[in-house]
Amino acid sequence: MIAIKLAYKNLVGAGLRTWLNVSVLSFAFVLMIFYNGMIEGWNRQARNDTQDWEIGQGQYWEPSFDRYDPYTYQDAHQVISEPIIQQIKKGLLTPILLVQANMYPQGRMQSVLLKGVDPKQNILKLPTSDLRFSSNETCAIIGKRLADENKLSVGDKVLVRWRDKNGMFDAIEIKIASIFKTDVPSVENGNMYLNIEVLQKMTGMTNEASILVAGKDSKLYDITNWDFKTPDFLLTDFDAMIQSKKAGGIIMSGLLLIIALLAIFDTQVLSIFRRQKEIGTYIAMGMTRSQVVGIFTVEGGAHSILAALVGAIYGIPLFIWLNKVGIPMAANSQDAGITIADTIYPYYSLDLIISSLLLVIISATIVSYMPARKIAKLKPTEALKGKIQ
Amino acid sequence: MIQFLFKGILRDKSRSLLPVIIISIGVFLTIFMSGWMKGIFTDMIDLNAKFTTGHVKVMTQAYAENEKQLPNDLALMDANKWLSILQKENPEMEWVQRIHFGGLLDVPDSNGETRAQGPAIGKAIDLLSPNSHEANRMNITKSLVKGSLPSKNGQALISNEFAERFGVNVGDDITLFGSTMHGSMTFQTFKVSGTLNFGMSALDRGAIIIDISDAQQALDMLDVTSEILGYFNGDYNDNQAELIKTNFNNKYTKADDEYSPQMYKLTDQGGLKEMLMQAENMTSIMVFIFIVAMSIVLWNTGLLGGLRRYSEYGVRLALGEEKSHIYKTIIYEAIIIGSIGSIVGTIFGLSACFYLQENGIDFSDLMKNVDMMMPPVYRAIVTPDLFYIGFIPGLFAMTLGNALAGYSIYKRKTATLFKELEV
Amino acid sequence: MKYIAIIILSLLSISIWAQTASEILQKIDDNMSSDNQIIESSMTIHGKRNSRTITSITYTVGTEKSFTEYLSPAREKGTKMLKLTDKLWIYSPSTDRTIQISGHMLRQSVMGSDMSYEDAMDDRKLSEVYEANIIGEETYEDKAVYVLELNATVNDIAYHSRKMWVDKQKFIPLKEELYAKSGQLLKQFTVSEVKKFNNRWYPTKMNYKDMLKQGKGTDMNVISIKFNQDIPEYIFTKAALKQ
Repeated sequence: MIAIKLAYKNLVGAGLRTWLNVSVLSFAFVLMIFYNGMIEGWNRQARNDTQDWEIGQGQYWEPSFDRYDPYTYQDAHQVISEPIIQQIKKGLLTPILLVQANMYPQGRMQSVLLKGVDPKQNILKLPTSDLRFSSNETCAIIGKRLADENKLSVGDKVLVRWRDKNGMFDAIEIKIASIFKTDVPSVENGNMYLNIEVLQKMTGMTNEASILVAGKDSKLYDITNWDFKTPDFLLTDFDAMIQSKKAGGIIMSGLLLIIALLAIFDTQVLSIFRRQKEIGTYIAMGMTRSQVVGIFTVEGGAHSILAALVGAIYGIPLFIWLNKVGIPMAANSQDAGITIADTIYPYYSLDLIISSLLLVIISATIVSYMPARKIAKLKPTEALKGKIQ
Repeated sequence: MIQFLFKGILRDKSRSLLPVIIISIGVFLTIFMSGWMKGIFTDMIDLNAKFTTGHVKVMTQAYAENEKQLPNDLALMDANKWLSILQKENPEMEWVQRIHFGGLLDVPDSNGETRAQGPAIGKAIDLLSPNSHEANRMNITKSLVKGSLPSKNGQALISNEFAERFGVNVGDDITLFGSTMHGSMTFQTFKVSGTLNFGMSALDRGAIIIDISDAQQALDMLDVTSEILGYFNGDYNDNQAELIKTNFNNKYTKADDEYSPQMYKLTDQGGLKEMLMQAENMTSIMVFIFIVAMSIVLWNTGLLGGLRRYSEYGVRLALGEEKSHIYKTIIYEAIIIGSIGSIVGTIFGLSACFYLQENGIDFSDLMKNVDMMMPPVYRAIVTPDLFYIGFIPGLFAMTLGNALAGYSIYKRKTATLFKELEV
Repeated sequence: MKYIAIIILSLLSISIWAQTASEILQKIDDNMSSDNQIIESSMTIHGKRNSRTITSITYTVGTEKSFTEYLSPAREKGTKMLKLTDKLWIYSPSTDRTIQISGHMLRQSVMGSDMSYEDAMDDRKLSEVYEANIIGEETYEDKAVYVLELNATVNDIAYHSRKMWVDKQKFIPLKEELYAKSGQLLKQFTVSEVKKFNNRWYPTKMNYKDMLKQGKGTDMNVISIKFNQDIPEYIFTKAALKQ
């Protein structure tokens, strides 16, 4: 107890020097939380967006389907069985049928993936309900980027050519019913969404689908003849990128922490040098050396507690504010193929705060302890005289 | 007086060594951090520049319009002529050709007939020229899982996942079956010299990397290239890129010929302009925080320095030295120590940044996917401002700290000096 | 009564027309198909930037076996293609490799032309897969022609319907349009020269064009054609590809 009281008195007594150290340490602390919070916020939003727009709670693939091999799409479709239809009706699953096609905006040929989706589905955020009221015309919804690239706007028609299940060509003009904007580039790049029933009719693949997307309440269980793919599997690439971003952040916060620790170290060296008489007195009064080392270590380590407090004073309002307004991300970042929201709202988990706190406290204590070890070697008589050794 | 102070600093280690070390470390960290930060915030842009956009890129206008579809039928003719024009007009930049293509990789059995087949994404880069930086730029060397880089024509790198799926070993033959720029089918058999881990599923499924000359041969693109990329010797510089682009386009781009070359700078492509701006903002904020933090630390060091020598000043006062003179020497010493520390720190900081610019820190060992092509490797960047920013905390903050600490001299009374000093 | 007569008459006339239509188709098939044939031909592909001409010689027996060897340009020389029913192998002399072209690859274009491998491979007789109707008679390029409409009778065929302008005397389609199921025009085939070989007419200059794409399409010229030759059986084996 005495150690803590002494530490507090000494620290506050040192005035400006203590506060300088504390402020730098608090920077390190706040920055560490901020950076990781930002990455975590990005991660969560991107994962949520990808789940909301594309993968749901996972996907069931027709066994031969391979998302990176478009050649498999031709045969990767099968009839949706009755139990699955029941699930679809309950809104637990939604089927998607994939058909490779070509479209000809302004006479240029371009490959496009036709995706048949259920206009009544609520699992994915896609505005599929816009496909509900197609009268005679075949309607499609497309993403904003695809629309911009091909200079298509709502109401425009574009010629699309595909083959039915037997390989027979068919081609019609498809009207753009609506254009949506999403943060998930893979949802819109080269994709055109049609009513699944229309696409089934167009291709003769009656009641067939290539993948099933699982919704929130769907109980994930094996469906025969469909391979389940977890969200983690579907997000492998993205996770790898986030991992690497976090690694980059470690160095940055680490350097800032080192600077703060350097200052604490310097302060400790000096106070032990200047307060030899005090040390001698403690020992003369009957304290063991390790107790004295403890006093100085606690004193140095207490910087980190103060830093946490100071950090909290300006950090908490800052974080709350950032969480409210968000951090605007560069527009069009998605063009580079990365799933990223236009505004990132940092996410501060308790884990993150506690682990940053522990890191700062432990490291500050360690650097305080290192110079304090010298005390153990002091002779109390010499120390009392204040002689430099 | 300066000379006298110098001697003092050199001979009294407690006066010189620790402060200089701390300032050097502090300045070093400031510079390193700034360079690092620029590296970390621009890594995505950097990755784009290296793999896709270059710092500037020359394509035909027609190719640019359909770039996503790899329309090699619209590729740039007279590649060598354009390459030498670009090299002549901008000798400080590195100009490289690249060809992107798609095709099938066909694995033969012992009779030379198809054993297995899979679609592949192809990239042709300059692997064989002795002074080409392309293999490093694309991080190919580090993403090698097996084997080695192609060392002569007719060798290829393929993705490791593909190789394992189809049982292809280093040294085996693999046939690229694709179409020439004219649409004819083409076959070219390559010896697999090594396998790569790209860290991107699409590429890991099937990809082939060959030398540009092999691709030109295989795709009937002699003296033709998909694109010519230009790289500055160092960091991307938008003003310079703009200048080079304008000059080139004014001179060589013809509005009525869609096959005439057109230059695009990095920021013209794929939303990178906004990303770059954001990266720059983020970097300046971070560097600012860091310089403030470092200044505070060195200010503190200044304060500590003053305290450390409290008794010395007492003695000097007792001997009758003027308070203002002592104060002046404190300031001068701080300037000298600050300068030495800043210079030493800057030298070390720049060298570290330079080293990391060239080599980077590889985080892949910490991660699940090792040897990736899209690397968790971070690099620092050496920029001109790194040469002076270290002096802000190193010199100014240090001097300020000493000035504040030294100010207490004026509070000291000669009468109590001897009591304080206990002599 | 009068009306019934008209109906019967018109029904009758339809059946007469239909009869003739399938006869016409039969006659076209007689002209175009044979037990076996050897064709030397050239194909000029009009690219966006330049045109290329490729010559080849093709041996065909029935509808199931065909063997093609490319003769020029130098790059293509020696490349051989073997088609047996629905399988296709390509041999490239430079790599000494035989590669099988499977399903999806068959839909790629042949040598960058407006024709796919599949277009080139499907040589079932028209009369086997289409039902023809005469929908008119007109003059096409100064020649009297029947206008035929063909509707597919099978599912596994690329084009749902065709429209054909058939020379009344020579029974050669001078122009043909290929349609999608929806009625969208996809490809057009025009003949600009017809020559007589032995006792049959055969188109020798034609153009094949993908109507959805910009461009001038692909020109084909028949340099020589021989019917009912002795073609040794071994030519249709994979071993022959390597020779």
